[in-house]
Amino acid sequence: MAMQTFPGTFKSLEPISKFIVEKAKDAGFSAKDVYAIQTAVDEACSNVIDHAYGGENLGTINIRLKNLNSKLSIIISDTGKPFDPEDIPDPDITSPLEIRKERGLGIFFMKKLMDEVIFEFSPSEGNKLTLIKYKGS
Amino acid sequence: MEFAVKKFEKCDLITISGRVDSYTAPNIGMLLKSLISDGQMNIVIDLEKVSYLSSSGLLVFVNAQKSLNKQKCGRIRFSGTSELIFSAFSLAGFDKLFDFYANTTSAVESFREF
Repeated sequence: MAMQTFPGTFKSLEPISKFIVEKAKDAGFSAKDVYAIQTAVDEACSNVIDHAYGGENLGTINIRLKNLNSKLSIIISDTGKPFDPEDIPDPDITSPLEIRKERGLGIFFMKKLMDEVIFEFSPSEGNKLTLIKYKGS
Repeated sequence: MEFAVKKFEKCDLITISGRVDSYTAPNIGMLLKSLISDGQMNIVIDLEKVSYLSSSGLLVFVNAQKSLNKQKCGRIRFSGTSELIFSAFSLAGFDKLFDFYANTTSAVESFREF
């Protein structure tokens, strides 16, 4: 299992991506899947800063990866306020530009690009988001 | 992320390299806002050297096109969009909103008709 903790700032998104891309490549995913995993984690971490912490420099983002035979699990933890991605409705991606509401696009990406997205919250440990990508899916 | 702007007779060309994410997208947003408020209606954005594009980057492009639409003229067109970068546009349903060109030459040329 690999683990790293990053400051809760948008500047951390690049080192987070580098960490994730390296581990996803090591796990044997295709370039397309590596990009998908990178996107899902980047969007999840942006949401942690924007919504769970409600701003930059208000906490840390802990990322743990479990590379199993059949899947890669990525667990993203923060100590911000509860933020369940399921509470945000999917954007209507077919509606005309002028009336389209863009809130939720990052979460929509996360759900579309990963095979499983599991959210848990506990008052003692905070938010825990598990993103799972199956190998060969 | 770095960017450069080159002026052509009928459009401006923005060349972006590196990552466009929640950290860097606001800089591109400010650039687009300033070009549009200076009266530039036609903009080519070259994505050939962009390694990553997040939803916040996409929204910056969409918001710039929305502000051009309010003025009832002007288009943003893209060049050099790799398959991975294009996949973000299509996943968001934004692929139908913009025109995509193979390279900067053909994208800049496309504005000659205006």
